[in-house]
Amino acid sequence: MNLARLGYISSAVVIVLLILAPQIAPRFGLDISIITEVVVFAMAAMSVNVMFGYTGLPLFGSAALFGLGAYGVSLSITYLHAGFVVSIVIGVVLALIGTLLISWFLLRRRGIYFGLLTIAFGQIFYFVAYRMREVTGGEDGMTFRRPPVQLGALHIAFHETSIYYLTLAIFLLTLLLFWYLTKSPFGHTLIAIKQNEVRVRHLGLNSDSFVLVALLVAGAYAGLAGALYAISILFTFPLELDWHQSGDFFLMTVLGGAGTVWGPLLGALIYVLGKEILSTITPAWEIFLGGIFIACVIGFPRGILGTVITMLAGRNGVQHEDAPEAEPAGISA
Amino acid sequence: MDQLLPSIFNGLILGAFYAVVALGLSLIMNLTGTINLAHASFLTLAGYIAFTLLLHGSPFWLALILAPLLTVVVGIIAERTLIRPLYGRDPIYSLLLTFGLALVAEEAFRLIWGANGLPFSPPASLGGTVQLGFMAYPVFRLFIALVLIIVIAALTLFLRGTQFGLRLRAAILDSEMIAALGTNTQLLYTINFGIGILLAGIAGVLSAGLLGLNPNSGNALLMPAFICVIIGGMGSLLGSIAGGILIGVVIALTTLYIPAASEVSMYVLMAVVLSIRPRGLFGEEGLFG
Repeated sequence: MNLARLGYISSAVVIVLLILAPQIAPRFGLDISIITEVVVFAMAAMSVNVMFGYTGLPLFGSAALFGLGAYGVSLSITYLHAGFVVSIVIGVVLALIGTLLISWFLLRRRGIYFGLLTIAFGQIFYFVAYRMREVTGGEDGMTFRRPPVQLGALHIAFHETSIYYLTLAIFLLTLLLFWYLTKSPFGHTLIAIKQNEVRVRHLGLNSDSFVLVALLVAGAYAGLAGALYAISILFTFPLELDWHQSGDFFLMTVLGGAGTVWGPLLGALIYVLGKEILSTITPAWEIFLGGIFIACVIGFPRGILGTVITMLAGRNGVQHEDAPEAEPAGISA
Repeated sequence: MDQLLPSIFNGLILGAFYAVVALGLSLIMNLTGTINLAHASFLTLAGYIAFTLLLHGSPFWLALILAPLLTVVVGIIAERTLIRPLYGRDPIYSLLLTFGLALVAEEAFRLIWGANGLPFSPPASLGGTVQLGFMAYPVFRLFIALVLIIVIAALTLFLRGTQFGLRLRAAILDSEMIAALGTNTQLLYTINFGIGILLAGIAGVLSAGLLGLNPNSGNALLMPAFICVIIGGMGSLLGSIAGGILIGVVIALTTLYIPAASEVSMYVLMAVVLSIRPRGLFGEEGLFG
């Protein structure tokens, strides 16, 4: 079977499974809020995917942008009495402003220096949320009530399953956008920057402006994910912005397959379910998580999906550069 | 005013801690491009080993020597088995690997030594205060300052004055050429990593006596050390030292005058330095992009 067709069929199967998740999850003793978390984390991990998987720049501060989205929701609902939709918009805008602020510093650097700067600048937002006790509740975080949605005369009160479907719908939209992006000239330019930025510049393209747009896309993904996370758990706390959380998003992306469209979702699924199942068995579940991650980085750096796609492409006699969804060329360079 | 001088002194000592940790990070980063996110774990490990040694009746000076060396052994095992396979790859993979390693280490500490903070007090002979003429100052802090200055001086002499130091500095510029000239670069990488961990180990034991000991106590020194490297300029060891001292004093002064901004101050300093000099104070243009 042709790889592109296999990609479409498996994508369709995944989407159907996601739609049926509220029926499937309870049979495994899982609350639907856990699947909501999977979807939200996948969206956050997509920010790492845009920057690292496609553009080749290690965004290690995604949690700060995620947290900005979350605090945008909790602060606007608490202090401005913002509505459901408005609070999410404010969250995304806040994340975009944060991205713009740090991009001024980030754009001048590449490689591991870029990664180090994203960690350092991300921590600023963490400490601001941690220290502004009177506003954010500091270490204890802040709880708030979910505003109802008023559509004309229609009054919708959200419960867990409808929050899941809302999150899923937004996730699938952003995923579609992402897929379109990877097929567009813009996406190809990002991959070209990853492979050889000097050549991109020599072709007359201002690679900085492409990186800036990629950063803003990443910021929007992370911010939207954070906003949806806040509105689903009705709680925000400073550790959401910490670099350890950024590391977890990075872990999900690399585990699932950086540079693949579905990789972040697969990684988030393994991460969240792994945590859920392991933490009932042992309190030291992070040892296993860290161990899996170490094995992944050493053994299959393309991640699960990247490895599978490369193997399938090899069997079909296609070079993996031409494989759909995966352009991991240069990932091990 | 009478608080200002002790504050600056405390800041200098804190800065020396940051500098020693940052030097270890810098050494490893410069030679192999590895951002060692597990550096804090080695700090904590050294603290715990020293704690265990003291518990079994070892004198403090012995723990101060032995604990860092044992930590180096663990570090070298980690380098040989986990980090070495990644040297040919994009440096970001070693950053990811050390992140995983830090997760494992933190949980392991929790399993072995418990989740609660452990009491780690300096020996009685280093307790008390000494009159410096203009103020009374804790002896243990002066002892720490002395050890850290010796460590920094010894490292400088080692890198500037020995054949090995020369090879190390040359390998940072062009490791392929050094390999071609007959140096075993794999061994060089391992020893370099070991030196970085040794610095972390010494700082770890001393900081446990000053800042306390719990499964993630090393983290308190990791982020400031990263900021030192950024402010000082990646690739420059002198920069790491200068960055450390600068940050230590700035943190001490903001803690004195604006306590709420004590953590944020170093990031503000970083933003200011990077706006004026994107490569950092002593960084060379072109190194690490």
